[in-house]
Amino acid sequence: MHPFDPRRLRQTVLRMAFAGKTAHIACAFSLIEILAVLYRSHLRLGKQPGMAWRDYLVLSKGHGVMAQYACHYELGWISDADIEAYCSDGTRLKGLSDGHVPGLEVSSGSLGHGLSIAVGLALAAKRRRSEQRCIAIVGDGEMNEGPIWEAILFAAHHELGNLVIIVDENGHQAMGPTGEIMRLGKLADKFSAFGCESREVDGHDEHALDMAIGELLSSPSPCPRALVARTIKGHGISFMENDNRWHYTRLTPQTFAAAMVELDRQGKQVAA
Amino acid sequence: MRGVFSQWLARACQADERIIVLTGDHGYSLFDDVRRECPEQYLNAGVAEQNLIGVAAGLAKGGFRPIAYGLGAFIPIRVLEQIKLDICYENLPVLLIGDGAGVVYSTLGTSHQCAEDIAALRALPNISILSPADDHEMSACLNEALHTTGPCYLRIGKADRGTVHEQNVQLQGGRLLSVRTGAGPLVWIATGSMVQAALTMAQQWPNSDIWSAPVIKPLDIDHVVAICRSHRAVIVLEEHSIYGGLGSAIAEIASEHAPTWVCRIGIRDRFSEKCGSYSYLLAEHGLDTPGITAQVHAFLKRMNCRPAVAA
Repeated sequence: MHPFDPRRLRQTVLRMAFAGKTAHIACAFSLIEILAVLYRSHLRLGKQPGMAWRDYLVLSKGHGVMAQYACHYELGWISDADIEAYCSDGTRLKGLSDGHVPGLEVSSGSLGHGLSIAVGLALAAKRRRSEQRCIAIVGDGEMNEGPIWEAILFAAHHELGNLVIIVDENGHQAMGPTGEIMRLGKLADKFSAFGCESREVDGHDEHALDMAIGELLSSPSPCPRALVARTIKGHGISFMENDNRWHYTRLTPQTFAAAMVELDRQGKQVAA
Repeated sequence: MRGVFSQWLARACQADERIIVLTGDHGYSLFDDVRRECPEQYLNAGVAEQNLIGVAAGLAKGGFRPIAYGLGAFIPIRVLEQIKLDICYENLPVLLIGDGAGVVYSTLGTSHQCAEDIAALRALPNISILSPADDHEMSACLNEALHTTGPCYLRIGKADRGTVHEQNVQLQGGRLLSVRTGAGPLVWIATGSMVQAALTMAQQWPNSDIWSAPVIKPLDIDHVVAICRSHRAVIVLEEHSIYGGLGSAIAEIASEHAPTWVCRIGIRDRFSEKCGSYSYLLAEHGLDTPGITAQVHAFLKRMNCRPAVAA
């Protein structure tokens, strides 16, 4: 079985979203390959969540949390029962990233918080002369927030070479395309101008992501690194891709079945 | 008080290398000692307070003991949401310092004045709130803050009004500290700069008690109840809004546990209209001796004129 298979991760997200009647499916789908590559090949986590020596993965874009839960399901950190009971009364897995859940580093959803915490974690690791790396995932819509830019300035000034900022650049935010709401321009150039070593990648090409993340992590540069991953909101399900209604729409039995069938069909094509 | 703080900071950093002092480009000579003695443990995070609090949270998660310093108008007010989500929800050992609280920046206007910090933080779970009145209370509060395992806010108001205690004091949980004892029916409970004001006021009511509240949250409810039960009227003085501060906290306890007349004297739901000296600003807000006297007389009149309770 291919570990962290994106198709299976998306199925887990769909199962959770359907069971929990929750939104933000498209926000999770643009992140899937990024997280799959990180969990499969780069993060040093240990068998249990919360090992003291772990690499930090900070999901600043807390709306994508179901993608991270799907990875934790692969790791055995959450169970089928957790998936089926998602967001039901008295359960601990919330609809946005929550630092009280083992394996999640920060509480997010209020945007523009996680990157600063990631910067603090990277600074702490650097001061302790630890080999820990800190990887922060931010959304492009999240980059409207002022503290994001404060954090980038700070990270560059303090030469946090153990910090990798990955932007899930899906081109959308809650109410529409980023280009219509708040133009972000060329983010890689902005990161470079702020003193980061930056590059761009196709955020759904696992091989390209693997190479780019590996190179950034092994670079000798003292600068913080930034990887702008060009993604598609809702990627993987034809009727969700680039349709921003899937930021907030809940699944019906019909759309759930259609999406699961589409992923099954993709699996069969791969197998053939 | 600022001298005590400055020297304590350098000593604390020397004793514990996990302490990191973060400032949002404020404090000036306050940090001379720590910068000289422990330069590696001092960090000016720039004029970027929201990031500063997030970084402090990350440092605390990573095993450090951050002390985040700013003016009260900025820490905690500007960064309230970062304090709520990044620090309080995670129950992280971060010491927040809000300097110049109240109307200390009397000439600078609303942007630098802060009469809402206690109210804002009282509603956040996990955080404790300290508000020293003099050097002795400052030392006790700092030692308490150093040993707190969760978030702590230290409010520094007008800091050069002399001492109210004759010797070192020790905090005992959320108990109030006695400043002056009397046998009369009136008791003053004050915090920060207003403890000095209570001492001045007590000259007019020579039999009154004075208690200082260096710990505003959590308050020792039993202690407050005992004070309420042994007096006919409680007057609370604070350089803070009458909404949500110490006066509110005392009134809440009194009304639920020991119904007593409580008079809240503080900033009455208004901004400073004009600028001037610190004493001018206190007078503008009715917190100088004539202003407080008038409010107390009006309160005592209301008490004595109250209609008889129906049988």
